[in-house]
Amino acid sequence: MPQLNPEFFVSQLFWLAVFFTFLFVFLWRVSLPRIATVLEKRQNKIDENLSSAKELQEQAMEIEKKINDQINKAKLETDEKIKETINALQENVSSQLSSLDKDLEKKVSDAEKEILKSKDDQMKNINNEIVNITKLTVGKITDIELSDNELNKVIETHKGNFN
Amino acid sequence: MAAKDSPLKQFEIDPISNIELGGYNISFTNSSFAMLITVLVITLFLTLTVNTRSIIPSRMQLISELMYNFIAQLLSDTVGDNGKRYFPFVFSLFMFVLIGNMVGMIPYQFTFTSHIIVTFALAAVVFIGVTILGFINHGIKFFTFFYIPGVPFYMHPLLIPIEVISYLSRPISLSVRLFANMLAGHTLLKVFAGFVVSMPFFTGVFPLAFIVALTGLEILIAFLQAYVFAILTCLYINDAYHLH
Repeated sequence: MPQLNPEFFVSQLFWLAVFFTFLFVFLWRVSLPRIATVLEKRQNKIDENLSSAKELQEQAMEIEKKINDQINKAKLETDEKIKETINALQENVSSQLSSLDKDLEKKVSDAEKEILKSKDDQMKNINNEIVNITKLTVGKITDIELSDNELNKVIETHKGNFN
Repeated sequence: MAAKDSPLKQFEIDPISNIELGGYNISFTNSSFAMLITVLVITLFLTLTVNTRSIIPSRMQLISELMYNFIAQLLSDTVGDNGKRYFPFVFSLFMFVLIGNMVGMIPYQFTFTSHIIVTFALAAVVFIGVTILGFINHGIKFFTFFYIPGVPFYMHPLLIPIEVISYLSRPISLSVRLFANMLAGHTLLKVFAGFVVSMPFFTGVFPLAFIVALTGLEILIAFLQAYVFAILTCLYINDAYHLH
């Protein structure tokens, strides 16, 4: 077995010492610090980004809160305005309605008065007609000339029968 | 079996250039070359992929970061906050073993982790380092590590030697585990590769298919052994901080 041949033991140990020492010192002084810096830099970057993300999130939350507050405020204001307008409109409507009612009432009462008046006129006319017709009829039949006063008297006494 | 066809031939060390220092043969060999490749791959990969230092990583940079986090997590899970100081060492150890194993998976490439002397040297560094650390942290009290509380007193003469032996055998188990896995895996691959050419007609495709599957398994083992080496190192470091 070549492994147990001591001929090259010293040579192997010597070169092992040389190369391993070189490797150890090189990695210790050059390579590993480099990798460590990169890892550290990355960790710092991540931490930085995380903290700034957190900050931004907080800011966003604040802004959202402000927006919500304003929305609520605007809602309240509009509700108030809507209520006011409705009230004003209702008042307006009711006042107009009441004035309309008054107008109508007045018109109705006017119309009633007119109707009554025309009824009276008609009644008077009816009396005259009756007198005339009676006078004509009696004159044609009997040749008796009746005076208007007489006829009126008779009609007055019988008036209750017409109505 | 001729030495030329031996499945163990792949573990032979060939000097690339002969160097001698103070009477010792420190030739630059294929093993040293594999180590050089391993170190180059690790250093270049970890340096170039993280060169841009981008916050949003490229795929390659992500691989480096994943390896970093993998070992950092392992160390913080097993040792806790004390472990941070040993991170460069454990990371180097893990990468060296992992990429060494992976480089060994390239056909015709030497696997230096299949040599007991290399794995034992790495395990010995861990063992000696952890023992020194234990004495630094606890002083002479570190010996109470071998004393298991809550056991009947007459058991101690038996248990303390067992604990001492198990502690002393740590570098052996750590190194032999890695060495044996690599040795067995590569030998098996070589044996089946021999079957491919020696079997008659087209029946050689069966061992070939087996080699393909085995290569996948070996890559898994290459990672697993590096992981085991790293996690055991972490556990030993933890023991140096927390006695029973």
